[in-house]
Amino acid sequence: MLSSHTSDLFCAYCSEKEKIKYTELVILFAPAEMQNLKAHDGDAETEKVSSTQASDIDDWANFKDDDIMQQQFAIQAEEAEKIPFVGSKEEPLSSLANEYKSGSSILLEKIKVLSEQYAAIRRTRGDGNCFFRSFMFAYLEHVMESQDQGEIDRIKANVEQCRMTLRNLGYAEFTFEDFFALFLEQLDCVIQGSETSISLDELVQRSRDQSISDYVVMFFRFVTSGEIRKRSEFFEPFILGLTSASVEQFCKSAVEPMGEESDHVHITALSDALGVPIRVVYLDRSSCDNGSVSVNHHDFHPVGNDLPSAKKGGAEAIDPFITLLYRPGHYDILYPK
Amino acid sequence: MQASRARLFKEYKEVQREKSADPDIQLVCDDSNIFKWNALIKGPSETPFEGGVFQLAFSVPEQYPLQPPQVRFLTKIFHPNVHFKTGEICLDILKNAWSPAWTLQSVCRAIIALMAHPEPDSPLNCDSGNLLRSGDIRGYQSMARMYTRLAAMPKKG
Repeated sequence: MLSSHTSDLFCAYCSEKEKIKYTELVILFAPAEMQNLKAHDGDAETEKVSSTQASDIDDWANFKDDDIMQQQFAIQAEEAEKIPFVGSKEEPLSSLANEYKSGSSILLEKIKVLSEQYAAIRRTRGDGNCFFRSFMFAYLEHVMESQDQGEIDRIKANVEQCRMTLRNLGYAEFTFEDFFALFLEQLDCVIQGSETSISLDELVQRSRDQSISDYVVMFFRFVTSGEIRKRSEFFEPFILGLTSASVEQFCKSAVEPMGEESDHVHITALSDALGVPIRVVYLDRSSCDNGSVSVNHHDFHPVGNDLPSAKKGGAEAIDPFITLLYRPGHYDILYPK
Repeated sequence: MQASRARLFKEYKEVQREKSADPDIQLVCDDSNIFKWNALIKGPSETPFEGGVFQLAFSVPEQYPLQPPQVRFLTKIFHPNVHFKTGEICLDILKNAWSPAWTLQSVCRAIIALMAHPEPDSPLNCDSGNLLRSGDIRGYQSMARMYTRLAAMPKKG
């Protein structure tokens, strides 16, 4: 059957177009492979790639994406030794200034301005999850300090909204419920006076424990993705400004996967979905024309989901209780004086 | 570990419940190890893989679902994004675009979609990729169909 077929085939090895028979072409491929196939002709469906088979294939064939991923994990592990997911509170901001000692004078000036308003910085690991991780810690720490049961009740209502959003978008419940449950558990733990209450030290420990910390980060990613997709018309122009992807592609490739960095789209969506205002202070090299140095910040005020365009200004003049320091490519937590 | 086990158990129940929902995919968990799964997928119609049944092997890491499952073809397949010898699959959601929103079942669907829509610009099987990139659709389809017949179809009488 095979030998009788001829066709215009492109020879992959010599890159010349010529008429060759399948049988000849197949011989061009690794002959061992063909024997392999023949041997398994009878039970083709269950041909197994066993480890013994893998051992006699050459190095190039052994070169797998898995190795690249292993290398990536190794690099991440190396980074992990430098800084935990969430660092310790550093006071004052001079540690930040030390980083730029031989750097731009604008940055040093700005750090000076910052230190008039802010007392301390808490660093997070630069693993692409730093915005979500910073938000997680800053939010839970705020609730722990304020012991604001009202805030907990309020955000829990929002979390249930987010759950509905994901359901309506067609996400299978079991894919996200574990992440939701873990965040809700953390919320209950930071309120004092119950058996499950935890201390600030314990909160730091949990934020450094991958099995908790990454789950909460992933919870925020689900929430952010759900919010963006629910209000895709609103977010579409902003996403088009970042990439050429559709809203759905953007969520699948830049929001939901761990380690994908956050942009103003993510921050806006998370702030809106959970109803939590966020202040981002920008530490970059931009300067004013008149020579004076000031540090810009931007407040993300959640927009009520029911009234997408209304409710600007007025009642919600409250300052955000979460302040993040943005340096191009990275977010850390800032503590006001 | 505990979390991944719990999640896989949920997927197992879902697979049992939805058994007839997707007739092209038959996903089975190893009897003794919930971290090992096998799947039989049908080659999509109007592709050179039509009529073939392809076996996939899943190895699920302990960090699942934060980390993707490792998946490879056990059945020989001639496709630009599948390694001809190891069966390894080049698919973004199995690498850096993975998220816990995916499931073993939806990974199977993504692989079926990949079979129908090869990406010859990032080939693991260069021979297959070159055929497509040079525009020799007929050559690619003939080769792919030949291997489907040799490896993915029960031998007739």
